Amino acid sequence: MLQGSSLSIREAFGKTLVKLGEEDPELVVITGDVGDSSRASYFKEKFPDRYFNVGISEQDMVNFAAGLSAVGKNPAVVDFAMFMMRAWEQIRNTISRMNMNVKILVTHSGYSDSGDGSSHQSLEDIALMRTLPNFKVIVPADPADVMRSLPVVIKERGPTYYRMGREYSPPITNEIDYKFEIGKAYMLRDGDDLAIMGAGVVLWDALRAAEELEKMGISAAVINLETIKPIDEATIEYYARKTGRIVTIEEHMIYGGIGSAVAEVVVNKYPVPMRFVGATTFGRSARSQRELLDYYGINSQTLVKKALELMK
Amino acid sequence: MGGSDGTPISIEELNKLREKAERARKNVIRMQFYDQSLHVGSSLSSIEILTTLLFKYIRDGKDPVNRDWLILSKGHAAPALYAVLHEKGLIPEEELWKIQSINGLLQGHPEIFIPGVDMSTGSLGQGLSFGVGVATGIKMAKGTGRVFVIMGDGEQDEGEIWEAMTHAVARKLDNIVAFIELNGYQLDASTEEVKPKGYLKDVWKAVGWEVFSCDGHDILSLVNTVEEALKARKPVVIFAKTLRGKGFTPIENTKKQRASPDVAREFLINS
Repeated sequence: MLQGSSLSIREAFGKTLVKLGEEDPELVVITGDVGDSSRASYFKEKFPDRYFNVGISEQDMVNFAAGLSAVGKNPAVVDFAMFMMRAWEQIRNTISRMNMNVKILVTHSGYSDSGDGSSHQSLEDIALMRTLPNFKVIVPADPADVMRSLPVVIKERGPTYYRMGREYSPPITNEIDYKFEIGKAYMLRDGDDLAIMGAGVVLWDALRAAEELEKMGISAAVINLETIKPIDEATIEYYARKTGRIVTIEEHMIYGGIGSAVAEVVVNKYPVPMRFVGATTFGRSARSQRELLDYYGINSQTLVKKALELMK
Repeated sequence: MGGSDGTPISIEELNKLREKAERARKNVIRMQFYDQSLHVGSSLSSIEILTTLLFKYIRDGKDPVNRDWLILSKGHAAPALYAVLHEKGLIPEEELWKIQSINGLLQGHPEIFIPGVDMSTGSLGQGLSFGVGVATGIKMAKGTGRVFVIMGDGEQDEGEIWEAMTHAVARKLDNIVAFIELNGYQLDASTEEVKPKGYLKDVWKAVGWEVFSCDGHDILSLVNTVEEALKARKPVVIFAKTLRGKGFTPIENTKKQRASPDVAREFLINS
């Protein structure tokens, strides 16, 4: 259905943003001098009067967007995930505290800025953002998912953190006919023995792991959580009860991230054994994001290993 | 309403504003009877600026682009803002005495759920960026609204101020007026001791702001300066010389933020 497979996630993002600009005259795009790298600059070509490059000034960028929101604009702030976190306190004290309609759309999250190394790789942002009152946190899986969920996010009123990568964008949700709703997880593959839950590009690894496990006679479900906050408690509880085992995977620290969010639901609703796949320290430079995911073991092999531990 | 001789304010109006400022000042001093952790010194530095803006310049209204905005970026002067908003009839007197209490409306720093507050502040250095956003949105909508931002001199240490002041010039804004109160103190010590700020006016001017100076406790000086500021075709900053604790002699012009309830009571009885 959705033709996202030929695009990178940031290309899908830039093009979708332009489309949304046509539909919503109040949509304004603000960036901290990363318009070209994030593809937000496509919006500038079409709507120069509604595009603001504030310079390399992330703190000002965030509060400037809040000011635009206060007079009725629908601001989308675009920056690298890492540098958006430089303005976390501004996001917390102005946007979150005033519950303002500001969309924070980040690219280059996780290891996706592979070459630039650990200074540019954001592995803490989900944890930081999901602690904020009023904020929603959304992590699309692939370009098709961006085309599906970004329009919903832009239409929604209220503060939202929307986390994307950069180039590496293996197809994950292309074949799925699904209408995105904030707060709803969706199943990529059903299973009975174990559930793999996660969000973002690493769901590709989750699907590969499920295929491997199937060969061993283990039936693994794969769940795209996508909305990390408010998280879909019902779906998590359903699969905890159905399969009795959960492995989470995330391109993020395992501390406070997606696995933690799932565990908070599981221990409250229906405790089952869990394993976590994700980062435990800073990244480093590499020629590709894929190399880094494999180097740190955030991949299908680790998922299979953890699944087999739970099946013992 | 100007004076009959063409001055921007009549003597009657000037006296009325002075009375309101004096009542607001006494109410801030009185707040110390009830709470012993308020930034009274910083608040008394802002009384006349807030009174002048709220009673003479800020045009209220529901349409966000055709009304004026007042952003108290130095949010710790909230008691002064509340006392002046009380003079405007927006905050009932009993709430003033319940400031910072668990069942009161008035928070230690401004929150937008308090009537008359345009931005939740408290963390320094954020008001100017927000104001640049509001002013830009107003211009996009071709609105008539103006934005007033009040900052402290200590607050100028924040890096975000640099980001916002350069941004306002890049946007060519002519509907924003910033105040910087020069009271010479920040939390730990005098500004001279912590980080001297003698360069400020030169820096703001060099960046491209129209720079004015005035006496921040003299309403006539404030009115004359704001009148000039509103004629400027670029962003304007007004350096207002003020005193920490102005008018409350037990702490005036010191780094002290407050006195005991007894001292405050005795002061009010004798003044």
